[in-house]
Amino acid sequence: MNGTITKSLTALRKTKSYRDIVFALWEANPISKQILGICSALAVTVQLQTALVMSVALTLVVAFSSMIISILRRLIPRNIRIIAEVAIIATLVIIADEILKAFLYDISKQLSVFVGLIITNCIVLGRAEGFALSNPPFRSFMDGIANGIGYSSILMGVAFLRELLGSGKLFGYAVIPDVLYQIGYTNNGLMVLAPGAFIVIGLFVWLEHTLLKKNR
Amino acid sequence: MSDRLKSVVFAAVMCVVVSLLLTTASTGLQRFQQQNILIDKHKNILQSVGLIDPGQKIDPEGVEKLFGESIKPLWVDPTGQLIEENNRGEQSLPVYVHVKDGGIEAYIIPINSRGLWGRILGYLALEADGSTVAGFTVYKHSETPGLGGEIEKRWFQKNWIGKQIVDQAGEFVSVGIAKGAVEQVIPKQNRPHYVDGISGATLTGKYLTAGIRQILEQYEPVSIKFRNNPANIRPPDKTGS
Repeated sequence: MNGTITKSLTALRKTKSYRDIVFALWEANPISKQILGICSALAVTVQLQTALVMSVALTLVVAFSSMIISILRRLIPRNIRIIAEVAIIATLVIIADEILKAFLYDISKQLSVFVGLIITNCIVLGRAEGFALSNPPFRSFMDGIANGIGYSSILMGVAFLRELLGSGKLFGYAVIPDVLYQIGYTNNGLMVLAPGAFIVIGLFVWLEHTLLKKNR
Repeated sequence: MSDRLKSVVFAAVMCVVVSLLLTTASTGLQRFQQQNILIDKHKNILQSVGLIDPGQKIDPEGVEKLFGESIKPLWVDPTGQLIEENNRGEQSLPVYVHVKDGGIEAYIIPINSRGLWGRILGYLALEADGSTVAGFTVYKHSETPGLGGEIEKRWFQKNWIGKQIVDQAGEFVSVGIAKGAVEQVIPKQNRPHYVDGISGATLTGKYLTAGIRQILEQYEPVSIKFRNNPANIRPPDKTGS
């Protein structure tokens, strides 16, 4: 039993998708390694809920835009390729925004302009230009998923710390017992503001760089 | 096909496909979005009179039930006379009243003011004495997040509660947004007519102050009625009580 699991795990580890995902999650993480998409990472990480919705929206947009661009890669004329890429990305983002407005209205109000700003998020255009234009559709799709997960992992990590330290809650539920507040614990107001996110992201970048160095 | 022609054809086809997709998404989802916007408006009206707290979790059915029970939409003409909804003309003004035990607790005025980047839409609730602000909410605006966008935040809206739109002599003065903290920039006797400003959003404050003054002036006939004789004003029978 154990043997088959190990065997299938090694087989899994050998697939291209697996290597792509690990690479995008760790060695080439869009936020902590390439420092892309910082704008939204600062803005929507006050709460886990908004961070999660943003992560899902961005992951789906990167994955599908990469796939569509990859399918069209031989058709897109080179001289207008950026325009074509942006048009495809913008379409997907607007559709995502409309869906949020229809079914998650309160969250879409909180995310305000940031869903729309996925269009200008460097991660999306970066994957389109750097990967999808020269790789087949399925790999591009997986690459989009991988980078989306890489982005999401940092976003959720930052949001976890900010919501916990800034408002004493996780997903809107109070997790810090009242007793602690009574004996003098207070929420850290800095965590609710954008500079708090800067510091937390900085710490994540530091942590990852230190760990990567050790591995070498 | 030459490269240039190929680019033009590709761009044209792409435009058609993309616009078809967007139109489908937009029209297909419109029904749900408008329902959401309506519920959000009702939620804001309830919030302006303190029936629900901002941030309180409440499902759409709960909002509609509470709205139906305690809020009555009415129409008035420019002289403050109640009119039938069917007879309303261009001059008619909408007003919502918060009804409790058959009497009017507060009346709610829709705010549609100029902002720095676009219209600011919200509600201003006044108590039945016709002068005390019961609450202020914003449900739509295009101000810069973090600066003018703070108008949608609790800390800003909280400051409106209890402010007076008339001075001690009974003259209409409206409520304005100070340029800074009220305690520091406004002389003591005028403090009931100002709320704390937002740093970095002087213009948003200026436009909103002007917008609210203009709207309150329009509704002044209604407010005067409440000020003169609040006890006599009852919600019309056909709509409730």
